[in-house]
Amino acid sequence: MRILQFVFASVGMLVVATAGTSAVSGARAEQVMHERHEGMETIGKAFKALHREFDSSSPSVPTVKAFAAQIANLAKRSSGWFPAGTGPDVGKTGAKPEIWQSPQDFAAKLTAFQKAALVFNAAAAGGDMNAAKARYADLGGTCKACHDKYRTEMHH
Amino acid sequence: MPRQVSDGDAPLRPHSGARQPVWDLPVRLVHWLLAALIAFSWWSVHNDHTDWHIWSGCAILTLLIFRLLWGFAGSSTARWSSFVRGPASVFAHLRGRWNGIGHTPLGALSVVAIFFALAVQVGLGLVAEDEDGLYTGPLYRLVSIDTSDKARDFHELWFNVILGLILLHIAAILFYRFRGKKLTMPMITGRAVLTPGTRPMRPGRWWAALICSAIALGVTRWVIAGAPPLSPP
Repeated sequence: MRILQFVFASVGMLVVATAGTSAVSGARAEQVMHERHEGMETIGKAFKALHREFDSSSPSVPTVKAFAAQIANLAKRSSGWFPAGTGPDVGKTGAKPEIWQSPQDFAAKLTAFQKAALVFNAAAAGGDMNAAKARYADLGGTCKACHDKYRTEMHH
Repeated sequence: MPRQVSDGDAPLRPHSGARQPVWDLPVRLVHWLLAALIAFSWWSVHNDHTDWHIWSGCAILTLLIFRLLWGFAGSSTARWSSFVRGPASVFAHLRGRWNGIGHTPLGALSVVAIFFALAVQVGLGLVAEDEDGLYTGPLYRLVSIDTSDKARDFHELWFNVILGLILLHIAAILFYRFRGKKLTMPMITGRAVLTPGTRPMRPGRWWAALICSAIALGVTRWVIAGAPPLSPP
């Protein structure tokens, strides 16, 4: 299975690379993977903090606003987090090779996440915590849709 | 040589060969439901159904509470007091000097270990949250984000302990099987052929099972609600 995955990943990367997407390597690849890992972890922590806020009877509006803005900001930057050459064959990562095998589907899911992050941020900025909670749930759905398909189980 | 004569419609074999009750229905139900739910918990969390995994854990919590109580109110072989014994009994059992029904002194250690391991696992799951903050155990708000994350890591590691105990359990059943003693059928039918002179199981009362179930369900519901008023508002 692992060998198959590797072969598919290699073929997929070749396709992506020849199609003109800017692949990275060496120190640049390491840097991107590091930034991606830190970014995802920060988004995760924000999401966990928000979960606690929305489950409480009186969510702190400033806290929700701050975390929503943080997620929206990182979501914007996530466009640059998945260049070809940053898969599991290069270094330790939860990113599956499938990301570079079905680039269109992956891009669609990443875009859905970015849009949902913006919508959630707008709702949080509006100050209506019930509306924000609903958009937060939508945002969670876009995280899951992508992670179910394109992330392996990570062990720290 | 005396000729064997049928006694009414009784079979032509000694009465000691008749199957006698050894496990009551609640004990058997708990056993097989636990087996099924542990398998389901494992499958669901590895197939992106963390929500089902959490419900499965809550069901296991109900079973554990029920079984704990049934160990005080149930049939003779279900009671903790009937099978949790000291090391002297375990050694006597190992030397082949044990004769009774229900859990053997050594098997009882396995029962207690599995029960304890499952209780720890459920406890960790109750306060855990997933990596993304999408799913949370019902009591996650009793602890910090850091503790929740650590609980998840331990929850994942602790499963290996449970797996080890399950493998040991199955190995013991196979060991007995090779020695000519079948343990699986009695856990399904509740009955086994006893050595003559052994006292069969004294059954529990149905209303006691009902009360234990009601308490187990009630406590689980309270936990699912976040154990008010323990969770922060």
